[in-house]
Amino acid sequence: MSDPGLLLEGVSAAYGRTPVLRGIDLTVAPGELLVVLGPSGAGKSTVLRVVAGLEPVTAGRVHIAGRDVTTDRPGRRNVSMVFQSYALFPHLSVADNIAFGLEVRDTPRAVARQRARAAAESVGCAALLDRRPGQLSGGERQRVALARALVREPDVFLLDEPLSNLDLALRTEMRTELRALHDRLGATMVHVTHDQTEALVLADRIAVLRDGRIEQVDTPDAIWHRPASAFVARFVGSPAMNLLPASGPFTPSGSAPPGLAAAEELQIGFRPGAVTLRAADDEAGGSAAVVDRVEVVGEDAYAYLTLAGGPPVVARVPADRRPVRGAAVRAEVRWADVHVFHAGSGLRYSPS
Amino acid sequence: MRPDSRSRRQLVMMLMPYLIGLLVLVLLPAVITLALAFTEYDLLRPPRWAGLANFSELIDDPIFRVALTNSLVFALVAVPLRVLFALGLALLLHRRALGVGSARSAAMLPTAVPEIAYGLLWLWLLNPLYGPINQVLRTGGENGLTMLGRTPPQWLTDPTDARAAIIAMSLFTMGETFVVLLAARRALPRDVYEMAALEDATGWDVFRRVTLPLMAPVLGLLLVRDAVQSLHFTFVPALVVTDGGPPPYATTYLSLFVYRNGFEYLRYGYAAAATLVMILLTVAAVVVQWRLIRRYRAFYRL
Repeated sequence: MSDPGLLLEGVSAAYGRTPVLRGIDLTVAPGELLVVLGPSGAGKSTVLRVVAGLEPVTAGRVHIAGRDVTTDRPGRRNVSMVFQSYALFPHLSVADNIAFGLEVRDTPRAVARQRARAAAESVGCAALLDRRPGQLSGGERQRVALARALVREPDVFLLDEPLSNLDLALRTEMRTELRALHDRLGATMVHVTHDQTEALVLADRIAVLRDGRIEQVDTPDAIWHRPASAFVARFVGSPAMNLLPASGPFTPSGSAPPGLAAAEELQIGFRPGAVTLRAADDEAGGSAAVVDRVEVVGEDAYAYLTLAGGPPVVARVPADRRPVRGAAVRAEVRWADVHVFHAGSGLRYSPS
Repeated sequence: MRPDSRSRRQLVMMLMPYLIGLLVLVLLPAVITLALAFTEYDLLRPPRWAGLANFSELIDDPIFRVALTNSLVFALVAVPLRVLFALGLALLLHRRALGVGSARSAAMLPTAVPEIAYGLLWLWLLNPLYGPINQVLRTGGENGLTMLGRTPPQWLTDPTDARAAIIAMSLFTMGETFVVLLAARRALPRDVYEMAALEDATGWDVFRRVTLPLMAPVLGLLLVRDAVQSLHFTFVPALVVTDGGPPPYATTYLSLFVYRNGFEYLRYGYAAAATLVMILLTVAAVVVQWRLIRRYRAFYRL
């Protein structure tokens, strides 16, 4: 078996006395695009900075392409990074920015120029080579930063929320391009984001980070369909998954998973799309609820319900069949669409 | 927001003390001085119109020529050295580390000392016999010679050594330049330096390709400022430490020349004419450097 592109073993890091990473174990296969997803303050960027060597580890080892680089300085790790702010040199032209890494490594100027041009062409910014960062739009700077990262053919690409400063349309476009670029290069990439859509669209695998620990590492499909914890379940998906006590008042229809021990403290979770709304006088079943408010998002509408004697629930309905505010309805969810979690630990419940 | 007439009046009133001070203490004397440059005036009898006589005398005055040369040489050597010295200290002390706070205060301290006291201190430091500087230079040597068997510098009696001493004195009063550069360095974005670290840029490459170009506009401004002030830096040291000597007028700079003529020889008109030359020199230096900076900024679009 070939060495993993990137391997973190029990990595911890701290800012002063505040622990930021608490024992991260992570393996990224060569050519894989791993997205690190988490809320702000979870330590996502610190993962990248530790890999890059910009922050020291307090424990654990970092391996890049089979080499233990834990104590190597950043320049010796052969990684390149795209910063959230892009970190372009304002006094250098685009060409000089891209060629910077080559020139400080004493690549002949003509060669550096040529490779800078090739890198710029591969991300579609060859027309900008003579400009300065101050003359570029956000999207153009983004492309230049990407070109600078890939000109040196590093072992691992680290991308720190590179799309977060772009407007939505551009972000969607760059997301697609980034994925295409990755597939073309076959490079090992670690991409940090707090945007769950970005993670689902881009990633080969997603690592969900929470308070410096990895909550789950899995494919986007598995993250969506089998979230390992209530935290993952609620963080991925918008609006977030409904989470209710399993003991009621809301009971899914159909047959419960076998061995669901009623004695245990459990929570049930289901996505807004899993909820079926019926008229209050419909005999087919479901729990009685009142519509608090309705948000329409194009073809979909989200109805915020209050269950009789209980917690709020969000349901997704087609916009043309949305209920009105204050309407009495029946809400039904089938057990097949329900995730069960332990209330205390938040971990996924697996019937034994 | 446009200030209404009331807040405008308030602004004017609050500026008044400064404006009056500027007018009475700076502008008025300056204008009078310029006018006096064309007169013969001994501070006792009323000034008499002299036309351009003062200026033609300046041209033929060998002492003035020496003072002019001394001032220009001083500016050419001391101004870049001062800014370099301040830049070095700022780059050394911009990080947070143990003792950096005290080190910054220490770098600032000589600038805070009153000028005369500072001059007297150097008079002791530079004393060829018992001054600490030459005592250090003499360590390891015999018969009052340095380790290399040479006579230690005669700071107060040798013309070249005395000029060097004045430049050395001026180096340590770069506190304001240091503070500005410290702030400028700390304002530079951190991620740009992290970027450079990821590319394994050496310290020299980082300085040459990143720090220096990014700080260049500030450095340019400070060079202009120092060049303007350099004609004054020399006054107290030359007056207190070297007394304009050693012969022949080795440390008589324009400022001291003006002072001597105005207040010791009571040739106020003549001193005013020399002052006018100083001002013209200053303006010329500012214009040249300002153009260079503007060109630099336009080039980098900073």
